[in-house]
Amino acid sequence: MSEHLLEALSLFLTFQNVAILFLGVLIGAVVGAIPGMTTPMGVALALPFTFTMQPVTGILLLLGIYKGGLYGGSITAILIKAPGTPAASCTVLDGYPLTRKGEARKALDIALYASCFADFVSNLSLILLAGLLAGFALKFGPPEFFTLIVFSLTIIAGVSGRNLVKGMASAALGLLFATIGLDMVYGTNRFIFDNWNLMGGLSFIPVLIGLFALPEIIHYFAQKLSDVREATTVSGTGAGMADFRRCFKSILRGSLIGVVLGAIPGIGGAPSAFLSYSEAKRTSPNSRNFGKGELEGVAAAEAGNNGVAGATMIPLLALGVPGDVITAVILGAFMIHGLRPGPVMFVDNLPMIYALFIGIMLSSAYLFVIGKFSIRAISRISEVPNRILYPVVLVFCLFGSFAINHSMFDVLMMVLMGCVGYVMMLLRFPAPPFLIAFILGPLLEDNFRQSMILSEGGLGILVRSGICWFFWTLTLLSLVLLVRSRKRNIPLSG
Amino acid sequence: MIRERLTGAGVALLGLLIFTVLIPWGIDQPGNVEHMALAPDFWPQIIAVIMMVLGVLQAVRPVPDDDDEDTGGDSGHWLHRLPGLAVALGALFGFYVLIPTLGMVVPGTAVILGLMVFGGERRWPLAAAVAAGVPLLLYAFFVHVAGIPIPLGIFEALRG
Repeated sequence: MSEHLLEALSLFLTFQNVAILFLGVLIGAVVGAIPGMTTPMGVALALPFTFTMQPVTGILLLLGIYKGGLYGGSITAILIKAPGTPAASCTVLDGYPLTRKGEARKALDIALYASCFADFVSNLSLILLAGLLAGFALKFGPPEFFTLIVFSLTIIAGVSGRNLVKGMASAALGLLFATIGLDMVYGTNRFIFDNWNLMGGLSFIPVLIGLFALPEIIHYFAQKLSDVREATTVSGTGAGMADFRRCFKSILRGSLIGVVLGAIPGIGGAPSAFLSYSEAKRTSPNSRNFGKGELEGVAAAEAGNNGVAGATMIPLLALGVPGDVITAVILGAFMIHGLRPGPVMFVDNLPMIYALFIGIMLSSAYLFVIGKFSIRAISRISEVPNRILYPVVLVFCLFGSFAINHSMFDVLMMVLMGCVGYVMMLLRFPAPPFLIAFILGPLLEDNFRQSMILSEGGLGILVRSGICWFFWTLTLLSLVLLVRSRKRNIPLSG
Repeated sequence: MIRERLTGAGVALLGLLIFTVLIPWGIDQPGNVEHMALAPDFWPQIIAVIMMVLGVLQAVRPVPDDDDEDTGGDSGHWLHRLPGLAVALGALFGFYVLIPTLGMVVPGTAVILGLMVFGGERRWPLAAAVAAGVPLLLYAFFVHVAGIPIPLGIFEALRG
């Protein structure tokens, strides 16, 4: 063991490795912060540069971009309501209201602390629990996934504001939009109307940007002649130790949720962020402030989002199974260098795995340093007057929407979603339930239908295992608690 | 409260339209569906029914919205919003329509400048610098760093 560790240290401790990891985290943070540039895109773009590098160096570059990207996505989510990544869309819910209240720096700070802590916990779990968690993750089949997503959807009740019916209607619309595209079982058209651009469904980022960023901008200019409201021109003070302590329970819980969900192939950061947020809202004494600028909401979302980072490497390293798109690209990097992750690698290339572990731990520290130094500069964006900021953000969003798939159709889709979002804003339909349902909808439907294929139409499969029962019970408990708390707080009229 | 009831009725009507018009029109039904739950229209139909039920609930028992929530709802008469709304939507759709002809940089400059001036910015050198600089920087980043071919329209010959 100790000789493997020494060998790993000698493998890792080169100037090139230490520098390239720093560069990777920096690139990732920038890429994640740009709407239109996704983290998988950043990792994929960097892949060719790793061909000529040593295997450890190349893989560390990709891992650095991955980790930086997860945090970077939260920056624009907090400052301009345009999440850089789908996983950061949950951070918008409280991050942007905090910016409107003049507490952008505090939100960015707590997002960074939560991200770094969750990343650290996730890395630690990768090192300590790789084998155990990989085994647990393998027990998840379609019915277990389905019940997990059903449970995740209970968060809709938590982000619907005062009017649950409108929140659920918004979610139903999100689910409907998620059904657009080719049918996954029969390959037939669903709401495509002979437009091939719709065959793959609606792209996430144009929908996210359109729904969140554009309505705010349209509203600003629409109100211009009747009621001008400038955002605050103070970016505020940063978050301190007291804030971190206050949010610590949610950060820890979010980190653990991220670890568990990250270890399950195919789940990713977005459901984890929403589940973590939901749990924080359910248990926080400040639950009524969630959605209106609650620091704990930002912390929970970011912890859930970043908690998956190390854990997604668990199935990759332990079983050779990529957990998401990014780890699939990283798997490609391993294979380019003639390596095949999996149990055999733990026997044949243990020092290399340890070297990667050391690099992964160091990336958490890099994330903190890069984030901390950049926040003061970044948070000044919130001091720019809206009459300048909004047109710039608008063009930013238009370029970003195009960049995802090099598609003008995505630009049109973002503009149309902006109109939908503006109408929803006027009619006071909350946008977050739409977004949650839109992201989780395909997972929900696919796993339901796969379960039905497995059981030949029998619903009994949805209660086939202890995991299913566990999530059904949690769902039921959540609903009962939500209904009770709503009855206490909100009298119905009419 | 009347507006809330009407909104509910609208949601119910939308659900009904989706169920009776949009789903039969927009979803191709294969002939060999083994189980109802596997049919391509099964999930959308459930969603449409949910929308109908929610719409009826909203129409029958409307819940007043939070007044303190920042949803941008009712401030100002809606007629006062029309000029600003027309400018914002004109900028968005105008940008999209102009991409094939003028690419993304020139319409981007026009959108930024136009909206900044409409928003009340009168520092002309600053407005001009931001309007010209931001699209150019975005172009440079996406083309030269990310390798994404941002369209230039009739200025394609200028691509460096």
